[in-house]
Amino acid sequence: MSKPKLQARLAALSFTEKIKILERLRDRELAIAAAGLRRKAAKESGDVKGSPK
Amino acid sequence: MKATLEAINKMQADGVIGNYAIGGAVGATFYLAPAATVDLDLFVTVPGDTGLLVNLAPIYEYLKSRGGVEQDEYIVVKEWPVQFLTPANALQKEAVSQAVSTSVEGIPTRVISAEHLVAIALETGRAKDHTRILQFVEQGAIDREKLKDVLERHGLSAKWRGFEQRFLKGPQ
Repeated sequence: MSKPKLQARLAALSFTEKIKILERLRDRELAIAAAGLRRKAAKESGDVKGSPK
Repeated sequence: MKATLEAINKMQADGVIGNYAIGGAVGATFYLAPAATVDLDLFVTVPGDTGLLVNLAPIYEYLKSRGGVEQDEYIVVKEWPVQFLTPANALQKEAVSQAVSTSVEGIPTRVISAEHLVAIALETGRAKDHTRILQFVEQGAIDREKLKDVLERHGLSAKWRGFEQRFLKGPQ
């Protein structure tokens, strides 16, 4: 499906359905941000998977 | 979001806030394909607001006493960080008064109109605001005549022409 068609399809959803998608996107962003923080903390403590200690 | 809106509506019913309307990325999602955001921008009128300094403390105190948690410029209300904004000018006041009634999972709420969202984004003028305006234009989500009317009434016509020239017409 082309991007404009996908956007039109998403835009046509009800506000309730769109909010559910927003919440999934938000949870994903927060999970990615938290993973980044975990990696940073692990790196700072030298506890990075696969890296020499 | 359902629980967040229920809490906001209860706060309104309790007289802590007057009218309110959703703006920002969540407001834009009412008209466009959903785009990731982590917060809810809420324009609120406050009873007794004289237009000078608006005190948001009663809102924060009300919500904190019901489990809300302050986090930077937000207060987290039932999982959603909410930023309370008081209308700073005539455009924003009109945006709240002319907001569109809708609902989320059966919970009534109000969203700023597409044309007012575009006008506010134009006025704010950050890169992400320009991106949002382009999304409204590209997805055909605005009534051009209504937008023209809003822009004219709030002195934003010249700014819009500049935006059109820069982003919609390309190099001459």
